[in-house]
Amino acid sequence: MKHVGTLLVLVLLFVLPVIVLLLTGLAPGWRFPDVWPDTFSLKGIDYLVRHHDQILSSLGSSFVFSVFTVLLTLFMCLFPAAVFARVEFKGKALLEGLLLTPALVPPMTFAMGLHFVFIKLSLTETMVGVVILLAMVSYPYMFRALVAGFQTMGEDYRICARNLGAGTLAIVLQVELPLLIPAVVAGGSVVFLVAFSEYFLVFLIGGGSVASFTGTLFPLLSSSNRSLAALLTLIFLFLPILLFLVMDTAVVRLYRKRGMI
Amino acid sequence: MSWTTNLFLRLSPLILPYLVLFCGGVFLTVCQSIGVLTPLPQDGGALDAYAGLLTDRSFFASFAFSLGVAAVSALFAVAIGTFLAYRVWQLPGRLATAALVYKIPLILPHIAVAFVVLVFWSQSGILASTAHSLGLIQSMNEFPNVLYSGWGIGMILAYTLKGTPFAMLLVLALLVRFDVRQIQTAAMLGASGLRIFSSIVLPRLAPAIHTGFIILFLYGFGAFDIPYLLSESRPGMLSIHVYNLYFKHDLARRPEAMAILTIMFGFALLFIIAYSKVVRRLENGVRKL
Amino acid sequence: MTKKLVILFALWVSLVLPGPLPAQQTDTALLDTPFARIEEQARGSQVRWYLFGGWAHVNTWVDTYVAGEMKKRYDIDLVRVPMDAGVFVNKLLNEKAAGRKKGNIDLLWINGENFKNSKEAGLLFGPFAQKLPNVQQVVDPDSVAFDFGYPVDGYEAPYGRAQFVFEYDTAQVGTPPKTVAALKAWIRANPGRFTYPQPPDFTGSAFIRQIFYAVTGGHEQYLAGWDPDLFARQSPRLWAWFNDIEPFLWQKGRTYPKDSAFLDTLFSRGEVAFGMSYHPPHAQNKILEGSYPDTVRTFVMEDGSIYNTHFTAIPFNSPNKAGAMVLANFLISVEAQLSKYRPDNWGDFPALDPNRLGPADQKRFQAVDLGPATLGSDQLDRVAVPEIPSAYLEALEQGWKDHVLDN
Repeated sequence: MKHVGTLLVLVLLFVLPVIVLLLTGLAPGWRFPDVWPDTFSLKGIDYLVRHHDQILSSLGSSFVFSVFTVLLTLFMCLFPAAVFARVEFKGKALLEGLLLTPALVPPMTFAMGLHFVFIKLSLTETMVGVVILLAMVSYPYMFRALVAGFQTMGEDYRICARNLGAGTLAIVLQVELPLLIPAVVAGGSVVFLVAFSEYFLVFLIGGGSVASFTGTLFPLLSSSNRSLAALLTLIFLFLPILLFLVMDTAVVRLYRKRGMI
Repeated sequence: MSWTTNLFLRLSPLILPYLVLFCGGVFLTVCQSIGVLTPLPQDGGALDAYAGLLTDRSFFASFAFSLGVAAVSALFAVAIGTFLAYRVWQLPGRLATAALVYKIPLILPHIAVAFVVLVFWSQSGILASTAHSLGLIQSMNEFPNVLYSGWGIGMILAYTLKGTPFAMLLVLALLVRFDVRQIQTAAMLGASGLRIFSSIVLPRLAPAIHTGFIILFLYGFGAFDIPYLLSESRPGMLSIHVYNLYFKHDLARRPEAMAILTIMFGFALLFIIAYSKVVRRLENGVRKL
Repeated sequence: MTKKLVILFALWVSLVLPGPLPAQQTDTALLDTPFARIEEQARGSQVRWYLFGGWAHVNTWVDTYVAGEMKKRYDIDLVRVPMDAGVFVNKLLNEKAAGRKKGNIDLLWINGENFKNSKEAGLLFGPFAQKLPNVQQVVDPDSVAFDFGYPVDGYEAPYGRAQFVFEYDTAQVGTPPKTVAALKAWIRANPGRFTYPQPPDFTGSAFIRQIFYAVTGGHEQYLAGWDPDLFARQSPRLWAWFNDIEPFLWQKGRTYPKDSAFLDTLFSRGEVAFGMSYHPPHAQNKILEGSYPDTVRTFVMEDGSIYNTHFTAIPFNSPNKAGAMVLANFLISVEAQLSKYRPDNWGDFPALDPNRLGPADQKRFQAVDLGPATLGSDQLDRVAVPEIPSAYLEALEQGWKDHVLDN
């Protein structure tokens, strides 16, 4: 009985908005006081189809810079995370706290200071600049995930492999990285989502040149064309779900191949 | 190569960007707030921008408003999130899979969640239509003015909707490692459900709750996306004020925008330190972040 | 250890601090080139056009018709980037201060105080407008000599004409108020049913100017130029008018729609009774889009309805000025202006002078059916009054904030 209550709350809070978005997308003229739309029309979907190349290119651009952000954060955090998981040194707790602050303080506070310098360095209007800034804001999530991953992994495998004569590079690539994949996926998912959903930072550094899906969605949200806004929002919802399903299957398959499952 | 140098080298992929981009960025913000390195040369004193702000009533109003919206939404998100997470954790197997829907707002960008709040809560929105069909109201104007009442309720709703699944995520991560036998023992000894929750479960969840609160509070304080859609004319959120100063006004007002950002940064740092200290004192050294 | 720290700190500071500003350059050689050569130079290149992106139908027209024609005629790849005018002016200011000589914007859709601020800050390339063949042939130079009272001097090329109109739903309101005094009475009699976008939004700002003309005795007194005494004498009447109606506005005037898109949504959903727009075809566009019910009609105030011309301009650091000039020229061509005038594309009024067209072309413009919601040019011309010099505009926006919002 008590489970029904929980499920009801979950559905009302989280599923109902999606249903309403779907209805809004299919019924441009839906207005007060209709609880259910009066007429359905495909006008919104028609617009989507006619502009599919613009929408696809902004989706693609968002996807590309989000993936690069994941890769950059991985590169930034991999070795440091190993150090933090395994080495004790003075001031470690303080340093760790300091390193996590970019995810806590409002990004505006350092991004707007950097903006002018980015212009001078010609990093604005480029995807490189956008990726760099997004990585600065999201690396703490990757860092935490990797530290936890290294801690779970422990040092035994590495010591064992070293005793068997493996060089450092071989250890990292063949022993540690594969064991870290769940942590990388966990951290990477969060980083990807943060980068993919970001509007303001991409707008600030990207100027008008780096297309993003949020940039395409945003002007529509306060406009009166609610149906189009709703449809684009739904794409925003289903795309990451799709990606994570694909990611999940790929990882499972990889693990099976290596005999780790 | 000394041990410290070796250590520094291994940490450098993270430390170098941190110093150059994050610390550098803050440094530049502070500089521009005192009139150094601005796009236009500034005449006037270095602290003019700060003096101007501290005598501006609307700055304090915006500051307090931003704090209020952030605190209330973070509180609600963490409270509801913890409670829901506990309930979801208790769901049997198949229902638990269905409960994954709680992750939906996590995937949606903040601006989309703001849009959902608009669609639901505006006086011409879905809830108003439902109230009308239930006979509770006769016209749109009778529906309570949720979004524009001057209390930031629209933003609070959006931040709460986005923050609750986040809190749930953090809490569930701890709950899955929870030893169920402790609960069973307490139940056998006659403790009520509420007592079990408050005395046994809640203290264990404290790290997740505190982490969640800090993150959600600071996010609600300084973020831009949700207020851009749902903010009201007055008082406004600080981030929108900074945006207007930076993008829509004279370049000569740049120090003012940077001064607000510097103050926001200082506040965020102080908050993190103070909150961690207070909680640590209460819990004797369990790590928060 | 200290030495290491000092070296590290110096390294960090040098990475973080920007270098000295490089010298500025101007690209005047292009202005002496015959236009046919300019077209040759622009062939096969990319042109980036930054313009306000909140109107889906305009975006579609640019992406399909304009981009298609540019490709067909000149093999030019047109990229449209949505950005508010205030934001791209700011961007250019930042770039100029940072010494960025090669930017990303080739053409801007601009007018009014954004044009004035850009020109005064040296952000624009020109004068180029008189070099465009279409401007020489079909545009009346007097009609584009001034933009909000500020001399254009060829730094922007005409694009279209706009006039301030109000909108109402015939199914909700029987007879709309036709004068500003009647509007005030209507607002007081129907509390909570009227609002306007918060200045400095473009439409909201125009609305204040509309009321300013009406309650201070007309527009002629301001056309001579910025007169602070005149403004100080006249503006209190304006603030009094706004403060009088404030308690009767939507949300009791405690909050205003943050931009015109927001007001459109409130109007389309019936939360307020009137919409407003600086574009006469706006209502018809929204009806065709499905956002407005088809009972919506446009009306104007008898006190006068402000009109202006809107333009295109080229930034100082455009990487493809030749391509930008070719695009600007095409936009003022008869074909493009005709296509733009059709309400199923946009409905924006042409900026060219019909008297300079051949009789066949004149007929084609007259034959365009603007749709039931748009007022014809005879009704609009009757009440058209010119825009105010832009110094007043900034004073009005700041004054509204000080005397109405923060009051």
